Amino acid sequence: MITLFTLVGIMVRPFRLDEAKIALAGAILLLIVGLISPLDAVRVLLSDWNIFFFFLGMMTLSALVDAAGFFEWLATQAARLAGNSPRRLLLNTFLLGSLISMILSNDATALILTPIVYVLITKLRLPVLPFLFACTFIADTASFLLPVSNPINIIVTSQFPLDLLTFLRLLFVPCLVVIAVNIAVFFLLYRRQLQGRFDSKRLSSPQETIPHKPYFRYTCSILALVAIAYIIATALQIPLSLVTLSGASLLFAGALFWKRSTMRDVSKHISWSIFGFIAGMFIVVQAFENTGLTDQFGKLLLHLSGGSSFGSVIVGTAGAAIGTNLINNVPMAVVLTSALHSISHAPLTVQHGFIAATIFGCDLGPNLTTVGSLATVLWLLILRQRGVDVSGLDYFKVGIVVTPIMLVVGALTIWLMLSL
Amino acid sequence: MRILCCLDGTNVEQLHNAVTKFAKEQGTLFGLLYVIDAGPKAEMERARERLLRRPGSPLLPHAEKVQQVELASAQEILNEGLRYFPGAEPLQREGKPEREIVNCAAEWQADLVVVCPRAEYGGKPEIGPKSVGHVARFVLDHAPCPVLLVRPIAREQFPISRKP
Repeated sequence: MITLFTLVGIMVRPFRLDEAKIALAGAILLLIVGLISPLDAVRVLLSDWNIFFFFLGMMTLSALVDAAGFFEWLATQAARLAGNSPRRLLLNTFLLGSLISMILSNDATALILTPIVYVLITKLRLPVLPFLFACTFIADTASFLLPVSNPINIIVTSQFPLDLLTFLRLLFVPCLVVIAVNIAVFFLLYRRQLQGRFDSKRLSSPQETIPHKPYFRYTCSILALVAIAYIIATALQIPLSLVTLSGASLLFAGALFWKRSTMRDVSKHISWSIFGFIAGMFIVVQAFENTGLTDQFGKLLLHLSGGSSFGSVIVGTAGAAIGTNLINNVPMAVVLTSALHSISHAPLTVQHGFIAATIFGCDLGPNLTTVGSLATVLWLLILRQRGVDVSGLDYFKVGIVVTPIMLVVGALTIWLMLSL
Repeated sequence: MRILCCLDGTNVEQLHNAVTKFAKEQGTLFGLLYVIDAGPKAEMERARERLLRRPGSPLLPHAEKVQQVELASAQEILNEGLRYFPGAEPLQREGKPEREIVNCAAEWQADLVVVCPRAEYGGKPEIGPKSVGHVARFVLDHAPCPVLLVRPIAREQFPISRKP
């Protein structure tokens, strides 16, 4: 009951309460009534250290890379390479977003690249929305290229490690296909706004975007090292948070040396409430797991899949995508990961199907609505009926067209890759 | 007569050509309005919220730069307008463009609002359903005075089908 109330609380967010407070309140309540022992709670949190450190490293790394002007430099280069064509600029925005999501996670694309692209597009006097939505969409669409491309991937692969080749086969390849679909649908939807030419004289020179050249060069070198280290760590099954944190520490040392950032600056860019949210969710879901209900949920998913690889991908994708839109994708990934423990006796292709589909559905599902959950969308629709103007629906209109196509195409590609 | 021209960064020449044809009356005062659309910033805030960032904490990255560029771009568009309409009164607002236009028209006591159906970024002008964008449609529905809708010249697309 407490778990369900917590999940519903996260979904509805009464009085616009912070999700972290709701998750922590659920965890504290479970501890008070003795449904989970403090020792168990500590054990759960310690066993998930990789996820906490990954979030910390990822946010720090992004903030320090941004301080070097790296994102702005890349965006300016993308615009210069577009040769005055808005279509090519949109394509470059997608490619740039994919690259940033791949190495620095979806957070960096959605939170840091988006305002930079907005500034660029405003300067160029081009229609803003196609480019803004391109950034928001590609942040999630490209977030299963590598395990580090989305914290969700770390949550799932911490429990169910996939070797590098399996990850690339089951997720990287389908991700490329889904990115292509995303780009194609956007070109179709926004074909009218992308006509004409833009004046590239309005752009700043790439040199102007670099506030400090030595720190910029240092950042580029560290990022290249981090990218290589990610691949090696995934291949050797080394916890990825160690790479992220090492990269962030090296960059921070450089930032301090060249006086480009301080501890205070970095801490301002870290969302500390995320840690409370994840900690609360892990404890709540562990208590739920102790009741055996997640086990039952896992068995139900297996039953619905009919024990086939096709069924596992379809059921896994649908479950993850729907769940992600009912609650946030982080709790959904935690719940599904817990449920997947009960399918360990199923054939390997079915297990892999469920794991890949969980990552895929939880990563891509949020593209349906930028406002977090379907509950919020329904609320926005009610407000609209009452004559209140709500711009969040602009995104939903695009999401409802693009996301189902991407989910179907991606799921079919995963299934095809499973049989290879 | 007070004429309020709504600029969108792409339409100043079109508005100028349309208005100067009949606004030869002595004492006509032009207002040039440009609205910084608050929608994109709201979209960015929503994207942050989905990634579990509460509004304001931590700050929207590049918030200052976003504001500077918006203001500079608005200023540039208004200055461009002033080259076409010397002596006009520049008016700058921020918010939902459609709502700001009708409110500004009322506050400025406009006798006529001049607006284009939608921003045109190149290509041939479209006629037919949905060729009037949501901003112009809202202004037509809610303006406190007559509205002049300056459609692009599209004679080459005629005649249109006479069948219902």
